[in-house]
Amino acid sequence: MCHPQTCPLVRSILPVNDSYKSIKNGQEIVIKFSVFILLFNLLKFFSCRPFVRAGLWTLAGDPLPAMLLSPLLCHSLRGLWASAPLPPRCLRALHCDARRPLHFLWRRTPLCPHVQSRGVKSRKRPSFEEQQKTRNKTVLTYVVAAGVAMVGLSYAAVPLYRLYCQATGLGGTAVAGHDSDLVANMEPVKERVIKVTFNADTHASMQWNFRPQQTEIFVVPGETALAFYRAKNPTDKPIIGISTYNVVPFDAGQYFNKIQCFCFEEQRLNPHEEVDMPVFFYIDPEFDSDPRMARVDTITLSYTFFEAKEGHNLPLPGYSYN
Amino acid sequence: MSTAMNFGSKSFQPRPPDKGSFPLDHFGECKAFKETFMKCLRESSFDNSKCRLQSKAYLECRMEHQLMTKEPLEKLGFKDLSDPPPRQANEDCQH
Repeated sequence: MCHPQTCPLVRSILPVNDSYKSIKNGQEIVIKFSVFILLFNLLKFFSCRPFVRAGLWTLAGDPLPAMLLSPLLCHSLRGLWASAPLPPRCLRALHCDARRPLHFLWRRTPLCPHVQSRGVKSRKRPSFEEQQKTRNKTVLTYVVAAGVAMVGLSYAAVPLYRLYCQATGLGGTAVAGHDSDLVANMEPVKERVIKVTFNADTHASMQWNFRPQQTEIFVVPGETALAFYRAKNPTDKPIIGISTYNVVPFDAGQYFNKIQCFCFEEQRLNPHEEVDMPVFFYIDPEFDSDPRMARVDTITLSYTFFEAKEGHNLPLPGYSYN
Repeated sequence: MSTAMNFGSKSFQPRPPDKGSFPLDHFGECKAFKETFMKCLRESSFDNSKCRLQSKAYLECRMEHQLMTKEPLEKLGFKDLSDPPPRQANEDCQH
């Protein structure tokens, strides 16, 4: 599964590192943004509409202060359009701002071409109002549609993102499931010898002695290999441990397949008990044909044991989406 | 590693094993096979290809003692080590 940390598309947007929280936060961000855009558009629509278009983009392209100044712009164009009835918002603004000499903000050029033809009154006025109405309705429809589309897109983002990551296979999630046919039919690539080194760690509060029984092993891709770790419980009480693993380099991790191991399940050790823990793995033969892996000669497999607390359910990787 | 906030680089995504987890060998039933395998590894300077017979023996021991689900060895990648027909026995001795 493409983890949001690894898929750069999402990581560039989302600040959180938890996969599901980050997708949900992303949805919230998109919803809030779309609501803001919707409200902004509606405000724009209901404010002094014919004049807002100029006002909104007057001040160096910054729309918000210009939106607040739209009543002043109504006043500025009063002289040009003395005969036409102004929208009520503009009239109110005119009363308040009649004495403000902010003429440096006024547009000198008229907005609509037909404003200059002052002689034509009765014929063009009703059609212009109708035009305005239809235009307003169209814009309102577009704005509402855009808002709805944004909200829908935010909900569609989750499965789309998953599909995208599966298709592109970013972050080492290339192959969807290794079936046993692959293991049965794979041919070892004998020319490419890879050294696999083993590392064992325990969490600070974990009292087991955990170490690998061999420091390194030379394998070839396509051949199954066995390796052993040893764990000892030196204390007087049984301890349940659970482990996870890590493969370095990360890109090679997608080719490192474990057939069976001791990770992700609780392992109980009785007092003073020592056990051998095998890892049965193979490296995918396609490792040899990947150009990014051309210089990789050493792969390090590192296991870390933690103590499992009673009643503590850990999510298993690979099963979380179901 | 998975909690590092480095957005520019990849991190590792662990995957569960294909066939699950080995039950622990609490009684050391297959310890002898493991010792043979480790001895072979040390002698062959940790070359896995030379010790595949021993690893096959270890896994067979595990299967016998109910420490592993029984499966045909071909599915575990031991296709070339399974019993050959008699006329090919000479070639396989050289592995």
